Amino acid sequence: MPAGSFHRLFVANRGEVAARIARACDQLGITPVFGVSEADAHAPYTEGRETVLLGPGRAAQSYLDPMRVVQAAKQARCSALHPGWGFLSENPVLAAMCEQHGITFVGPPAQAMALMGKKTPAKDTARRAGLTLIPGSNGVLADVAAAREAAERTGFPVLFKAESGGGGRGMRIARHIDEVERAFTDASAEAIAAFGDGRVYMEKLLEGGRHVEIQVLADRYGHVVHVGERDCTVQRNHQKLIEESPSPVLSPEERERTFAAAIRCTQQIGYVGAGTMEFLLDASGSAGDFTKGTLRFMEMNTRLQVEHPVSEMRSGLDLMSEMIRVCAGHRLAITQDRIALRGHVIECRINAEDPSDGFRPSPGEITRFVLPDAEGGEVRVDTHVASGYVVPPFYDSLICKVIVRADTRELAIERMERALRSMVVEGVKTTIPMHLAILASDAFRTNRYDTRAIPGWPA
Amino acid sequence: MTTHENGRRFEQELAALVKEVDGLLVLRAPRPGFLRDAPSKGRALREGERCGELEVLGTLTKLVVPAGVAGLVVDENEHRKLARKPVGYGDVIAVIDPKAVAGGVSASAGASAAATSGGLVWKTPLGGRYYGRPSPNAEPFVKVGDVIKTGQTVALIEVMKTFNRASYGGAGLPPEARVERVLVKEGDDVNAGDAILALAPL
Repeated sequence: MPAGSFHRLFVANRGEVAARIARACDQLGITPVFGVSEADAHAPYTEGRETVLLGPGRAAQSYLDPMRVVQAAKQARCSALHPGWGFLSENPVLAAMCEQHGITFVGPPAQAMALMGKKTPAKDTARRAGLTLIPGSNGVLADVAAAREAAERTGFPVLFKAESGGGGRGMRIARHIDEVERAFTDASAEAIAAFGDGRVYMEKLLEGGRHVEIQVLADRYGHVVHVGERDCTVQRNHQKLIEESPSPVLSPEERERTFAAAIRCTQQIGYVGAGTMEFLLDASGSAGDFTKGTLRFMEMNTRLQVEHPVSEMRSGLDLMSEMIRVCAGHRLAITQDRIALRGHVIECRINAEDPSDGFRPSPGEITRFVLPDAEGGEVRVDTHVASGYVVPPFYDSLICKVIVRADTRELAIERMERALRSMVVEGVKTTIPMHLAILASDAFRTNRYDTRAIPGWPA
Repeated sequence: MTTHENGRRFEQELAALVKEVDGLLVLRAPRPGFLRDAPSKGRALREGERCGELEVLGTLTKLVVPAGVAGLVVDENEHRKLARKPVGYGDVIAVIDPKAVAGGVSASAGASAAATSGGLVWKTPLGGRYYGRPSPNAEPFVKVGDVIKTGQTVALIEVMKTFNRASYGGAGLPPEARVERVLVKEGDDVNAGDAILALAPL
């Protein structure tokens, strides 16, 4: 690592995320220090690593407590802290606390994070940069009359949403003008109860879109590049199951137009590091034909994401290392014209759940864990698991991600099927059978699906 | 709650964690921080007394001896003489011999073990967080004195952010039984196979 870098970096995360951050640190010559809970203190991925015990297994008293995390980073003499994804990664308080205590937060500046974390300011910013929005109200609605006016102008059905909302709460649908008053007041009341903020805005309810997102990377000097899009339409309850790049249905014109606007938006907010803009690919104006669809901005995730390896495999870049470098003050090592996106990449998230029993969580000991063949680097597995690893009940159920690259989508599907069939996971139930069913299905292979149902898997 | 002591300003007070090892009581740090002023060998400690201070992000937390613990310090934190020793959650502050002072340990663990020894118990099939009611304001699934039947929901176990209903029944349990005691508290972390309900046959 060149001069002006971090020597010790605190990893404020666990499992697969911590293992990925540490791998980048090893490459950059940085010493990672893991903050761990009691449940993870002896996990295989912490072997031979420096650790600080944060608290008991329960996340609220370990990974989710910013005081413990920053104090631990400080006493471990770390000059940087990486939040990974999940847990505190989008918490501006953690970013601000790091700044206060002389620790570089590996992520965007706290104010960029706070701006994109608020619903209508984020949408305003995106619109000004030229991104297309989901039609709806201009910001929060003052009263029922304003709600009626906005709903009639937009066209039914519409969705009322809490300004400070999340997790599906404070949301109500109105399909007719008579339902507006009820939907507006109910959404507002629920928003006060859940978030202490009754402000509500409105969007057109777009059913049956696809989820497409764009990966961006920025340095402190206003240089921004995109690393292509990812199609994450295969979901269950808003949890992504399969991601791929390129999107098999997005038109080249819509792709290029949105890439340019996404880069402008990233520049305008003074963003630094890796981020993702999430879009709904909406084909309601083209009779369900996604190849004529429009990408409509939903939100920006101000962090690296679970599915970032999809873009790494396609571009050959190491996004994690690049993110650490730019947050240490370095310039982006690459320019847009030198980023070549090659072939087709698919990622499957393997969870310790039983898909044939309502996705019942299946924690416990993984007695045998054997990885698939790497096929000359075209198959990659990101994991923290090894034979004998015990999946603790406290955290989410991801045990590994399998990522494959090939020249075409068909070949990538074939390669993924081969990889999943040759993997061995014994001791816990996994979602591998579900992935094989999806990959084999006509609906998936011919792109006849949207976010409402899993292709090739019964609802 | 801010308090002052010997010219030091403490933003809060926290009880040290305690764990019994071979008849000795080990006082441990409740969270990460810089430890100062840990008790030295030979000192007598009693419940509620100060047993060190923890600096967390520039503010001081007073560490006190938890309820029911008293005794003589027989071993100290290995770096006690450092001005500021970084400690993680669960690191040793001091080791106490409760028998070295009259009126040593009082009740600690063991209560639930006594209640379950030899008796009929229902054990959770899942490990996770235990809830005895369907939502925070609802009636509990079972109360002491209730008669429960095979298949009846008796608890929710939260595993990986998902709530799972756990129902009564299993090998060696009668089709109906009366609830004698609930052995865990709302929100406790439980392991698969832990005893949850103490039962009496009808």
